[in-house]
Amino acid sequence: MNATSEKFLVVEDVSKYFGGLAALKKLDLEINSGEILGLIGPNGSGKTTFFNVLTGIFKPTGGSIHFNGRDVTGLPPQSIYRAGIARTFQRSRMCLPLSIFDNIMIGNHIRLNHGIWYNLFRRKSFARDFVAQHREASELLEIFNPELAEHIFEAAGDFPMIDRRRMEICRALISRPRLLLLDEPSAGMTHDEMHQLMNDILKVRAGNPDLTIIIIEHEMNVIESITDHCVVLNFGEKICEGTYQEIASDRHVQEAYLGGSDIEDEPPGEPRDDEKEGEQWQTV
Amino acid sequence: MDLGTLGQYIVNGMMLGMMYALVAVGFTLFFGVLNVIVFSHGDLLMVGAFTGFTVSLLFKYLGDDSTSFQIVVILIFSMSCMAALGALVAKYLVLPLKSAPPLMTLLITLMLGTILRESVRLFYPDGSNPKLFPALLPQTSYTFGNFSLRLDNVILLLTGLLIIVILHIIINKTTLGLAIRAVAQDEETARMMGINFNFIVFVTFAIGSGVAAFAGIMNGLYYNEINFGMGLMLGAIGFSAAIIGGLGNLYGAILGGFLFAGLQTIGAVALPFSSAYKDVFAFAAIIALMAWRPTGLIAEKVSERV
Amino acid sequence: MKSNNEAPHSLLLGLSSAVALLAYTAIFMVAETEAAIVAIIVFGCIAIFLLKRFGKLAQINLAFRTHQRIMHYAVMSGVLILAAIFYDSHYTLFLIATVILYLVACLGMNIQLGYAGVINFSVASFFGIGGYTAAVLTMQTGLPHLLIILAGGLVAAAVGSLLLLPVLRTSGHYAALVTIAFALLFKTFLEVNDSLGGPQGLQVAGMHLFGFEFNNNIVIGDVDISFYLPYVILSLILAIAAFTITKRLERSWIGLNMDAIRLDETAAACFGLSIPRWKIKAFTFGNFIIGIAGAVYGMMVGYIAPSNFTFGDSLILMSIVLLGGLGNPWGLVVATSIVIILPEKLQVIQEYRFLLYAIVVTLMLLYRPEGLVPRQLRCYIPGWRA
Repeated sequence: MNATSEKFLVVEDVSKYFGGLAALKKLDLEINSGEILGLIGPNGSGKTTFFNVLTGIFKPTGGSIHFNGRDVTGLPPQSIYRAGIARTFQRSRMCLPLSIFDNIMIGNHIRLNHGIWYNLFRRKSFARDFVAQHREASELLEIFNPELAEHIFEAAGDFPMIDRRRMEICRALISRPRLLLLDEPSAGMTHDEMHQLMNDILKVRAGNPDLTIIIIEHEMNVIESITDHCVVLNFGEKICEGTYQEIASDRHVQEAYLGGSDIEDEPPGEPRDDEKEGEQWQTV
Repeated sequence: MDLGTLGQYIVNGMMLGMMYALVAVGFTLFFGVLNVIVFSHGDLLMVGAFTGFTVSLLFKYLGDDSTSFQIVVILIFSMSCMAALGALVAKYLVLPLKSAPPLMTLLITLMLGTILRESVRLFYPDGSNPKLFPALLPQTSYTFGNFSLRLDNVILLLTGLLIIVILHIIINKTTLGLAIRAVAQDEETARMMGINFNFIVFVTFAIGSGVAAFAGIMNGLYYNEINFGMGLMLGAIGFSAAIIGGLGNLYGAILGGFLFAGLQTIGAVALPFSSAYKDVFAFAAIIALMAWRPTGLIAEKVSERV
Repeated sequence: MKSNNEAPHSLLLGLSSAVALLAYTAIFMVAETEAAIVAIIVFGCIAIFLLKRFGKLAQINLAFRTHQRIMHYAVMSGVLILAAIFYDSHYTLFLIATVILYLVACLGMNIQLGYAGVINFSVASFFGIGGYTAAVLTMQTGLPHLLIILAGGLVAAAVGSLLLLPVLRTSGHYAALVTIAFALLFKTFLEVNDSLGGPQGLQVAGMHLFGFEFNNNIVIGDVDISFYLPYVILSLILAIAAFTITKRLERSWIGLNMDAIRLDETAAACFGLSIPRWKIKAFTFGNFIIGIAGAVYGMMVGYIAPSNFTFGDSLILMSIVLLGGLGNPWGLVVATSIVIILPEKLQVIQEYRFLLYAIVVTLMLLYRPEGLVPRQLRCYIPGWRA
């Protein structure tokens, strides 16, 4: 078996229903290790729901997910993280009262020692660990914004949204995940900032060629420039797959983005797919 | 146990259930529109009861002995006062903390409850002692063997039921109710649809508080007594009833109220040594139920966006 | 970077403020008439206002943080000096010991609420469990008293876990409900149980340590020292331990985990934190500390009764934590002192204290939710620079 084409993430037939509404319908997806996959589609097409199912926040209604050879279907978010999947959120979720360093360290949970004895009584060891973590976090942060690294002990809430997105990416990267999920990382950025962000991400990846990335984006320039492969969703279903060039010229994709030609083809108002009454997401 | 005593227990249980349900309704409505626990609700009930009591004192002072007229006045006055108070609480204490973590609202309403409780205790004439609430309902009772059914209980039960039906109609058949449900489901979309969010919040709080006032008067008429501390336990019970029914769900709250009363009755029968045990039993049973069905018997509304 | 001149200046400022505080407290304790007490309070408020106005308050704050070790010793010595000044006053020493023990309990509650965000409405009940454990163990067994204090903490922690376990996997308001129910029912449960003394309560033997009986006055030559003095010292040692552990906890990966849970459970879960596990750890650990404080308090008072551990008492402890500043131990020191001492000295407000605290906390939550002494950003290694 060719190791480089070993399927790293296999999503098979995954569905997610909220009551009667299908947020995801029999989704099939495969990624190789080291690939960058673009996940695109109009608003409400199920992209973030997919991330939520993948990271264990929602239990899939059907289907299976295999990651790195392991069946991770329906596992809680903590197990998914330990398996090596880290993510950012569509609405940036940073703990604003905490420092940038604190926020990044939250992402580093698996590499930190949480024992009571260690933390309370072995303070010298702890101090050494802290210094090492600080160095690593600063170096990571510097890739994205060297100025931030100087203010690493200031409150995250003091900084603009763009910097918070950068911090969030660092939080996801610090644990050296195998699979990185980026949910609209460039939202709110100018073109230049976007390109810089993508370059920074690629810089990180250069140091870690095994890093696999799935990126949800609306900015087609970004998708075009960094993805190897794209999947297009619409109404929870995969409607197209291929390289950016292939999907950009696909008729179905164009219709999905520009609107259906027949009014009958359009379903009535789409409720938000991740907020439904009567459905309890898996207790975290 | 003979049928007569059983009948007493049942009637008593239904009365309690009705009262708890009416309190629970408030909790669930407030959680529905704002995702907050308003812990002053029980004490607001108490203030409603005291308001009604004050009106009855006024009637006594004026030498007016009429009962049905008095009750109507008491109810209208007390319910509208509490509705106003509820709206004020929403405007000045709850809405300002909307963007803070829900814990803050719980804490501030807890403090408000204490303020209400202590204010009555300290500033109402002879506030620390229980007050005799006048028996304004007909005192006739019908006896069937061992079992005597009091007319005033029947009237209270029926009016309670009426209030629940009215609530059901308001929430499900009016535009206002539609707006409330819209806000409860999704604030942002509701706003975008042109609904005045703040106004709906005020109205919801007013409704919930008015119903609580009714429950307070009901309490006073049933026990013929009110005291400054009555809101605390009632609030806790109403809160747990709302939770077990599923927060945000009106019918769940009603169900929860009757369920709690049922548990208390079972506890009273099974553990007759002390009245304290029935409460321990009921709360323990509720907690066990919550562990089994964490989202409530009828599901709680899910509200987080990820 | 501060210049070399500033460091000793800052230290001087810190020390002199500690001395000033000591003097102020001593005078406050000595004052007898209400007029005098009110005057002293007004003076204190004006002083704080002026200090804030001229930026001195921030400087003092900075001084406390830069010279932490020295300031800690200064405050400790201050308390000891205060105790020495009032060596023969039962009343004052009892008050000081009470403040310190309540501070310890609030430090425990701070771990639950301020760090992990677990709301505990039955704090006073766990305080009472510690006391009842001490009562039963001192009167029924011959166990050494230090072990009994420990047992008080362990029993409180055990009961706490039992209480919270069923609702751990649910969201916060369920836990709130459980602790409310417990708080409301604890008192009635005790009152109907004669085996635990019923409404009269139980006696607790006084502290007996290494052959030294705490509850007898100490006589040194001609001088009669109040028997509360050893309790003050014991409480102070407990407070120092609790304070140190709290600070270290906060300045560690554990403290970070708790903050993460409090601020954003979903994100925390996505990064590997087990929410139930950390909540129960915080809750149990906090109750352990609360129980120990309760046990010592029971021994000091000599008896323990259900009426001291009502829902209202839990609310008082909660208002201390909210007033002081969620998550800031120093804020707790200030808040505990104010909340406990003020109604004692100003008897006229005794009756109104629940109302007053509720009003003050309401105002705080509306206008200054960070509390009197806001929590600072986490500083893992004090004095460390990159």
